[in-house]
Amino acid sequence: MSTTTDHPVIETSGLRKVYRTRMGRSIVAVDDLDLAVPAGGVHGFLGPNGSGKTTTIRLLLGLARPTRGEMRLFGEPVPRALPSVMQRVGAVVEEPKFVPTFTGRKNLQLLAGSAGIPYDAVDSALVQVGLEGRDRERYGGYSLGMRQRLAIAATLLKSPDLLILDEPTNGLDPAGIRDIRDMIRELGESGVTVLLSSHNLAEVQQVCHSVSIIGDGRLIASGRVDDLVGDNTLSVVRVWVADQAAAARHLQDAGYRVTPDGDHLDVEGAAHPEDVTRALAERGVFVRGLTPVRGDLESVFLELTQDATLGREPAASEAGGAA
Amino acid sequence: MRLLGVELNRFRSRRAVVLLLLTATLLTALLAGTALWDTRPVSAQERARAEAQAQLAADDPQLKEDLADCRENPTDFFGPDTVAAQCDNFMVPRVEDYLSRAELDLGRVVDVRGVVLIVILTALLIIVGATFAGSDWQTGSMGNQLLFEPRRPRVWLMKGAAVLAGGLVAAGVLIGGFWVVLTLVADARGLAPSGDVLRDIRLTALRGTLLVGGAALGGYALTMLLRRTIATVAVLFAYAAAGEALVVSLPMERAGDWSLANNVLAWVRDGTRVFDDDIRCAPSLDVCDQSYQLGIGHGATYLGLLLLATLVVSVLVFRRRDVP
Repeated sequence: MSTTTDHPVIETSGLRKVYRTRMGRSIVAVDDLDLAVPAGGVHGFLGPNGSGKTTTIRLLLGLARPTRGEMRLFGEPVPRALPSVMQRVGAVVEEPKFVPTFTGRKNLQLLAGSAGIPYDAVDSALVQVGLEGRDRERYGGYSLGMRQRLAIAATLLKSPDLLILDEPTNGLDPAGIRDIRDMIRELGESGVTVLLSSHNLAEVQQVCHSVSIIGDGRLIASGRVDDLVGDNTLSVVRVWVADQAAAARHLQDAGYRVTPDGDHLDVEGAAHPEDVTRALAERGVFVRGLTPVRGDLESVFLELTQDATLGREPAASEAGGAA
Repeated sequence: MRLLGVELNRFRSRRAVVLLLLTATLLTALLAGTALWDTRPVSAQERARAEAQAQLAADDPQLKEDLADCRENPTDFFGPDTVAAQCDNFMVPRVEDYLSRAELDLGRVVDVRGVVLIVILTALLIIVGATFAGSDWQTGSMGNQLLFEPRRPRVWLMKGAAVLAGGLVAAGVLIGGFWVVLTLVADARGLAPSGDVLRDIRLTALRGTLLVGGAALGGYALTMLLRRTIATVAVLFAYAAAGEALVVSLPMERAGDWSLANNVLAWVRDGTRVFDDDIRCAPSLDVCDQSYQLGIGHGATYLGLLLLATLVVSVLVFRRRDVP
């Protein structure tokens, strides 16, 4: 179950995918993407809608053919080596897709059968995602959350070394989200490499050890979550005072950037919150309230993707259906 | 074999497939039932009524007068070479003429209902093959399946094998069942068919089964190409309808060689006579036959090549295409 290679589990080099619309227009979904996902742990895959996340995943899994570039899973070139490496890969791509007239169990049994996985694995996968007892109901009658759980159960059938999850908590209730996140964490800690594609930045920050951020089909940033957030900390001190105009003037005189925002001021440039209180107190302005706002993945993500978008031509967008 | 087992399981578990096969069974039963009902033995009462009507007609004075004239000058009535004895055959009312239905004649059934049954099963099994593949595309489960078995040609082949096997078994059971029932009933009515008729039935049933199995496979292959059941049905309808219209309108001899219907008939019935009004007759001929024989070999080649082309294009495209 564990992966013991030093090589990245997922590797792409110069990966490019161009879709052609029915009108003959070319749409670049993935553009010279160089990606490396290290073995073990949970790796976030972030990007705005249409940035090429799902297309990249589909290329890696052999569901779409690249226009150019190289891809490797476990060091093996894909799609050529897919028949051998797919036994080690579990994946959910976009929304769950099963036959609606079959029961959840039947859907899993057919998938297990096609990969030569014993039917016992179906039982344990169903238990793992909490679908036991509902598995003999038709998939068409499942809620979105149950569908999502079934899709995750399908990925667990193979006891994978690499798990690729595309928005796995979509449609789940809070308890379900917590369960799935716990499960992802546990899998990551057990040595399974998890690639988690998500638009939920808080989720990625909570669950992932490392992250790759893409925009317009290109890699914008990659590294450990702590490093990315640390390097880009935007320290804002939120201040509540009686006289906003006077306080803003004094703080600007002291060299800080000040932005009024409703009933408070956002102060940027202070190394510590007490620098702000001291600067105001020295001028006879006293603080009624103060909140230090630390940098997070969301701000890093927004800053990076905004920079990437502003710095590039807007033509590189994605074909319909691909995230 | 493992994957084939999975695909056979998927095939027989699909609700649409089961419903279509049930429909096929009902229609087969209906065809057999109507064949038996339309030829049911006449009752004594019906025969007595027919005898009375025949006698009444025979007693008609005008008929007696005409019959006497015919016996004197038979050639005036029925042309050259007619002899007096034939006048009775042609003119005297027979009891059978007043019975409302004929006896069960399996030689006639194989020509009409036997062919209709094969055509109906062919149409239904095309849809079975198409819906089997169409459902995979429509639900998006094809992508899911490829995550578990990424060897696409293998997936295509095993799904096709499941459809072919399902189609052959369904056709074999239904066509075989149809003829077993009719033969048993004919035996029970004392109308056992001759050896030649039995042989004709067996060969027609065998060719029909192969046609239905091939049609199911073709429907599957075309849908793997077009990704929608409805698209397959539309394309086949357009091919059949537009093709027939084109064949009829083409001002050339033997354009009927390209007709789907003619070739199906040629295959099923070991050749068929095709009427062709573009056939020119020599002015010296008194009688002009504007028809020709389309042989079973032509039918087999036409249908076989059509199926082969569909299979090859389908598998090649599936091997490389992006799967949603």
